[in-house]
Amino acid sequence: MPKDLYDVAIIGCGPGGLQAAIHSASKKAKVIVFGKPRNSSLYKAHIANFCCSEKLISGKEMLEAGRKQAESFDAVFLEEDIIETKNENKLFSLFTESGETFTSRTLILSMGVARKKLRVKGEKRLVGRGVSYCVDCDANFYRGLDVAVVGNESAATTGAITLLSYAKTVYLICRKLMITDTLYEQLRNSQVKVIQGTWVKEIIGTNDVERVLLKNGETLKVNGIFVELGAKGALELAANLGAIFDAETVSFIETNRKQETNIPGLYAAGDITGQPWQIAKAVGEGCVAGIEAAEYAKKLADS
Amino acid sequence: MGQGVLDVDDNSFESEILKADKPALVDFWAPWCGPCKAIAPVMKELEEAYGDSIVFARCNVDNSPNTPTQYSIRAIPTLILFQDGKVVDQIVGAVPKSHLEGLVKKAL
Repeated sequence: MPKDLYDVAIIGCGPGGLQAAIHSASKKAKVIVFGKPRNSSLYKAHIANFCCSEKLISGKEMLEAGRKQAESFDAVFLEEDIIETKNENKLFSLFTESGETFTSRTLILSMGVARKKLRVKGEKRLVGRGVSYCVDCDANFYRGLDVAVVGNESAATTGAITLLSYAKTVYLICRKLMITDTLYEQLRNSQVKVIQGTWVKEIIGTNDVERVLLKNGETLKVNGIFVELGAKGALELAANLGAIFDAETVSFIETNRKQETNIPGLYAAGDITGQPWQIAKAVGEGCVAGIEAAEYAKKLADS
Repeated sequence: MGQGVLDVDDNSFESEILKADKPALVDFWAPWCGPCKAIAPVMKELEEAYGDSIVFARCNVDNSPNTPTQYSIRAIPTLILFQDGKVVDQIVGAVPKSHLEGLVKKAL
């Protein structure tokens, strides 16, 4: 059952998401923020070009401070990835990696952009011939076959579990799993064969994927390999809601000056809307998105 | 021009695509595929620009399982360019508009 209704839900707790949370929560909206700080590109960065702070600041400290600030306005934080989104009856439903559902009047997408490719030998040549970047899209093509999933986080783990309903054997290749305890239990109780502590070295096959060579020297005989790095990103979560992407790159979400997308109640802020990759831009867009979403939610609640 | 992207299926594929009097670009997609949704507007834009000389079509792999199997499709979206019933080139994934436009220009 859905938990109680939020006014503003934010995916991503980088500078864009945090500023959106601060502005919407300070307008008395009921706010929840999803995501893991270490997935923000700010986490490992040091900032020297952000206005009004002369000293070099650590990104990690900024993220912690921003969260405290947003919490002081009563925004709620949940360190979980969102694995699915739905938009029905003017409400957004968000499904977490631990299997909980949250409902909100508005949704701000600020999960940034992340690398999707493995960059190993054989990968590029075999795309569409066994190499896939989307379990949800392509699982059906692997009925009764042997497949591997590579990745350390929620997208790879939930992807591997999903593939069990299609494939004969499912391997999960990961260096170290970074998922919630609930999802870990679900994985442990499943038929997924977890190969931990190593990574993909090469993808081998003449016309189609035949084998995957691991860094530990092991070889897996598989018909397909799904690359699912990090958490689910814009193409999975936003495209399914019907958000329009920029035609030039098909990577970034299109917004207007109010940070509105083409879907009522859906906003985007930060790297996910395109370059420049700057904290100042993310914060500015987060501010606008937070204010606009809070106002939209209030109108919706009053109507 | 501006006819819109043509829906084709297992039954109409031969007549609409393989026996078309123009080259044809077919987008193999499914309604539950995020990247497919992201690329749909790009197909529409290209159809508006090049629809006079090329057939722009889409094939839902959920309703038409035979055609994707015939062309060994194992990822969507896959976009295949056909000319005189033969595969000229193909692209997998939600690629930038310029890549897709490059594919289209090969057939002009």
